[in-house]
Amino acid sequence: MATTTTKVETFVGKRIRRREDPRLITGTATYVEDIQMPGMHYAVILRSPHAAARIRSIDTKKAESAPGVVCVLLGKETKGVGAVPCGVAMPDLRVPQHTILATDRVYFVGHPVAVVVARDGYLARDAADLIEVDYEVLPAVADPEKALAKGAPAVHPQWPDNIAFTYHQDGGNVDKAFAEADVVVKQRIVSQRLVPMAMETRGVVAEWRNADRQLNLYTSTQIPHLVRTIVAGMLGLEENRTRVIAPEVGGGFGSKLNVYAEEALMGYVSMKIQKPVKWIESRRENFTCTIHGRGHVDFYEIAAKRDGTILGIKLKLIQDVGAYHQLLTPLIPQLSVLMMPGIYNTQNIRADIVGVFTNCVPTDAYRGAGRPEATHGIERMVDMLAAELKMDPAEIRFKNFVAKDKFPYATATGLTYDSGDYAAPLKKALDLVGYAKLRQEQADLRKQGKYMGIGISTYGEICAIGPSPATPAGGWESATVKIEPSGKVTILTGACPHGQGEETTFAQIAADELGVALDDIVVLRGDTAVVQYGIGTFGSRATAVGGTALYYALQDLKAKIKKFGAMLLESEDVTLAGGQVVDNKTGKSKPFQEIAGATYRALKLPPNTEPGLMATRFWEPPNFTFPFGAHIVVTDIDGETGQIRIRRYVAVDDCGNILNPLIVDGQIHGGVAQGLGQALWEQAVYDDNGQLVTGELTDYALPRAHLMPWIESHHTCTPSPVNPLGVKGVGEAGTIGCSPAVVNSVVDALSPLGVRHIDMPLTPEKIWKLLATKNRDVGSRGATK
Amino acid sequence: MKISGSYTLPVAPERAFQILQDPAILAQAMPGCESLEKIGPDEYRMKMKVLLAALSGQFEGKVRIADQAPPTSFRLIVEGSGRIGFLKGDGLLKLLPRYTDYTGPGAEARTSTEVSTLVSYEGDAQVGGTMAAVGQRLIDGTAKMMIKKFFDKLAGLARNLTW
Repeated sequence: MATTTTKVETFVGKRIRRREDPRLITGTATYVEDIQMPGMHYAVILRSPHAAARIRSIDTKKAESAPGVVCVLLGKETKGVGAVPCGVAMPDLRVPQHTILATDRVYFVGHPVAVVVARDGYLARDAADLIEVDYEVLPAVADPEKALAKGAPAVHPQWPDNIAFTYHQDGGNVDKAFAEADVVVKQRIVSQRLVPMAMETRGVVAEWRNADRQLNLYTSTQIPHLVRTIVAGMLGLEENRTRVIAPEVGGGFGSKLNVYAEEALMGYVSMKIQKPVKWIESRRENFTCTIHGRGHVDFYEIAAKRDGTILGIKLKLIQDVGAYHQLLTPLIPQLSVLMMPGIYNTQNIRADIVGVFTNCVPTDAYRGAGRPEATHGIERMVDMLAAELKMDPAEIRFKNFVAKDKFPYATATGLTYDSGDYAAPLKKALDLVGYAKLRQEQADLRKQGKYMGIGISTYGEICAIGPSPATPAGGWESATVKIEPSGKVTILTGACPHGQGEETTFAQIAADELGVALDDIVVLRGDTAVVQYGIGTFGSRATAVGGTALYYALQDLKAKIKKFGAMLLESEDVTLAGGQVVDNKTGKSKPFQEIAGATYRALKLPPNTEPGLMATRFWEPPNFTFPFGAHIVVTDIDGETGQIRIRRYVAVDDCGNILNPLIVDGQIHGGVAQGLGQALWEQAVYDDNGQLVTGELTDYALPRAHLMPWIESHHTCTPSPVNPLGVKGVGEAGTIGCSPAVVNSVVDALSPLGVRHIDMPLTPEKIWKLLATKNRDVGSRGATK
Repeated sequence: MKISGSYTLPVAPERAFQILQDPAILAQAMPGCESLEKIGPDEYRMKMKVLLAALSGQFEGKVRIADQAPPTSFRLIVEGSGRIGFLKGDGLLKLLPRYTDYTGPGAEARTSTEVSTLVSYEGDAQVGGTMAAVGQRLIDGTAKMMIKKFFDKLAGLARNLTW
């Protein structure tokens, strides 16, 4: 019989090391690039060097006769393949036809124009240089505000105003709120374009099996099932003969929450050449043709009473769309609008979004997707309001928080916040950082002409995305649990992870529910031929939605185990605990593993019960979850160089119940790193001609380990009532809380100079210039320039 | 990107004007130039190799001369593309006689009374593709270096030519 050990040890809530890490840190994980197949060919994509141009002609003769080249494909050949889809439906949404290869026109630098297939990757790359494309260069526009101006070049000639969509939302009575306000503060706030920069670039291996009419597609994605549905549709294949496998995925941050042209293109190539084909995105390609994040220009107005009570918020939001809509592009700014009241008790909001086409790569979801932009906006505005009213930024927040007895709380944007105690993390963070003492120190330093700032951000966010009516492709998640005859447990999750540690956390959940050891559990994901349909991992949803589906599948199995246990023990009153079914009267017990064997041996079955132990659940969440927290950042600024040094970073996050504090800390650290990246260094810059001038890591300032501050990560715990695990989600919290805390801190430091807002990134150059000018204006210190 | 600067050539403006439009001389003077052939009046096809830090690649393009006002000015229009991107440039070259002492290459062979030519140039250049994405920080410096190399070579050639 089974040799599996039963354990009474529990795992949920403990700092369990990630079970996926050994293969990752020993370099033995299998990524798309690691896949080799007999007869494999290699594809290289020729991309447009122009942001806008008409293609007069393409000469592929030289490339076709180059050594090793099998074929060169152009847009006219792939016209029959379906368009790259936009998954969002909204009234008046303008959706340009997004073919997988350009046909007569290119719309951004990096636009795929031709694909070269050769028996060797280097030969394909060399042959791509031999393709001669005659472009008629057209005027381009890369800045969304310029694209809206009269006379701007039209990105898509059929829409000369460059407007991709508009969206309006009104809640409460904004006009009345503003009319009754004692003070209105206005500010233009930019949330710059960012490159998501997953460590693993995208990549696809397509393997067409002609005899079976089957396409196997290996792709680095967050959403294998959705990719299968959509790519099968684009290629006219049957969904059950299309298998998508996401092997190890080296980061996504939203950039792989998408369906890309290359996924269908490689399927097409493999069908054409009847051989497997591999395409691996280069880092330079990744810069220009994987989606970017953010790209907001926001115009905020906040109305308040003299005592600091916020009455209403207005927002005009310009979203830089890029040249096309990718899967969720138009949805992202709508998430910003949903989040715009933050965690403050105001029932009057008005938002107007205009999505603008530009000759740039499309924007889409990037860690936080819409919520960092909104949080940055509201948290900057609250600080500016506090400054205007000469109130302490902590005090104005305490005054306006939704009170903890008001939950569930309906927002003016139509959400229902599940649970919260917003004052708790701020109180804790203020204590941890020693706020009163720091303010005293700041006053002393100011007398010495030194710049020290304390920045607070108290964020809320929308997680566990989400109820299906509110998501474009279904917001449920699925889980299957199979208990083998030996009692070993296999979990199949539809929430395909890409670094979130579900192989650990999901095993923790199952181990505690079934009373088995972690080592007895395997978590499988990412293969549509193995795993039941699932949605994927994004929007801090995997544990809250996928984990809940798992929880319910486990309950089904526990009930069945108890039935079998009761039968075997000849009892009617049993409990399942510690991996044993125990007869409550006699105390006799049967180990879980023995029962598992009996369910398959099926010598005897309980009434109305089938053999075997397997359960699948699709769980539809009744609501989002709403985590929150307070981040406090203390900065010292070098008055001579403009260098910002982060002295303290205190993060108090409330993500509900914590299944694994180690993984939660990791999420906070990674999130903060990306928040700091946006706040201090990162910026995707297009020049006026639509050339991406930050096209390499020497020009795009990604945070490095040595630039990271020590993050003091703490928590409060307000369980979510939305799911039985009480979890909320934490994948994006660090990013969302971070950037406004940093900018608030730096603005606070420079406030004696009259600085009231600085747009990100806060590069030393920007700060130095500000110091130089403002010092001259104020005349308090010798200006350096 | 704006490009501007000036250089003194050790010949009189009339001669400088000729040299600056002589494909045989230009082909020798332009760094990386592999060929320059006349394809029409005042229009040339050019092949050149460009080195930009880690990037290198062959460019093919056209050079056109316009708005000629001998010997004082002409306009140069360059368009080229290659595997590392494309470049477009449009510049005005002005030639002014200089009677002051010349100190550039070949100075030792000249007397101070000879006329030299101050060539000043001003124009716009646009680069795209990989070159723009990867080499942005280096383009300015590289362009300046290439222009200087070009004029140094040209001055040397001008000195050695016997007319």
